[in-house]
Amino acid sequence: MSDAHSAQDWKAWFAENGPRLRLIARQWTRSDADADDVLQEAFIRFWKNQRHLPGNPNALVVTSIRRSALDLYRSTDRRSLREKTVSADADTMTWFEPEADPRLQALTDSLPQLPEEQREVVVLKIWGDLTFDEIGEQLSISPNTAASRWRYAMETLRKLISARTYV
Amino acid sequence: MSEDYTEIESALRALRPRSPGPAVTVGIAQALQTPSRQPAPKKNIIVWMSSALATAACLCGVFLFSRDESNSLSPEYQLVSSEQSPAAIDILSPVELSDGSYARPVRLLWNNTTHWSDAKNNTQLIDYRPAQQLALIPVETY
Repeated sequence: MSDAHSAQDWKAWFAENGPRLRLIARQWTRSDADADDVLQEAFIRFWKNQRHLPGNPNALVVTSIRRSALDLYRSTDRRSLREKTVSADADTMTWFEPEADPRLQALTDSLPQLPEEQREVVVLKIWGDLTFDEIGEQLSISPNTAASRWRYAMETLRKLISARTYV
Repeated sequence: MSEDYTEIESALRALRPRSPGPAVTVGIAQALQTPSRQPAPKKNIIVWMSSALATAACLCGVFLFSRDESNSLSPEYQLVSSEQSPAAIDILSPVELSDGSYARPVRLLWNNTTHWSDAKNNTQLIDYRPAQQLALIPVETY
């Protein structure tokens, strides 16, 4: 993963990092369309104003995505939220590209089924490339809590995969 | 982290998140490739920062100057005395008032003198105020 501090060409950086950033946006939004909107707004803000700031650029871009997702959530009224919640159920399989390996496919199907608090820790650690300390800062929880949620998520995923692949 | 999760963590890293829709790239390109207005704001920021610094420097100078001046020139007068001289009384000739009665005007003259001294500068400050009061004393006539 190239460093956003030194990157000059946003297209190259975005082509490399866009999918993982989109996944981070997707797990905080209710539809693919919302995830795209959030990602677009967050990336523009990050690239224009924040990528040269000191600190881990991954944490900065994740912060920008989270802020955009929260802004979208607050700006959406309850009625449209209900509508999107209904449609979101059909969207949960669109987080990843389909996999030929049944074990990996089972994993793609299982991840969206994790409890939200566990899922966001997994997404931030694997695709946000954040440490538990940084995850704790993002989610306003302690690093120990983040690590605990990670362990619970791993146990849950293991059970879900086993159930899907060996039954 | 526990070794038990290494395998599942590796599997997670092998997953391929879906790419953003093409509209996202187009939207970002439009936003980032529009003529940048960065130089103007930067100039404005520099101008504002310079103005703010200059104002702050002036305020500091004024503050220090007035502080210094107050330290060196501010008198420290101590009250030495406050006296009122005995009144001089002028008794004038009786006059007839508008109601037909008579009264004798009496004029009192005295001085109020207040004296301060600043021992540091050996400065004396004396406030000398003459004062008078005119009174009419009714005169009985038979």
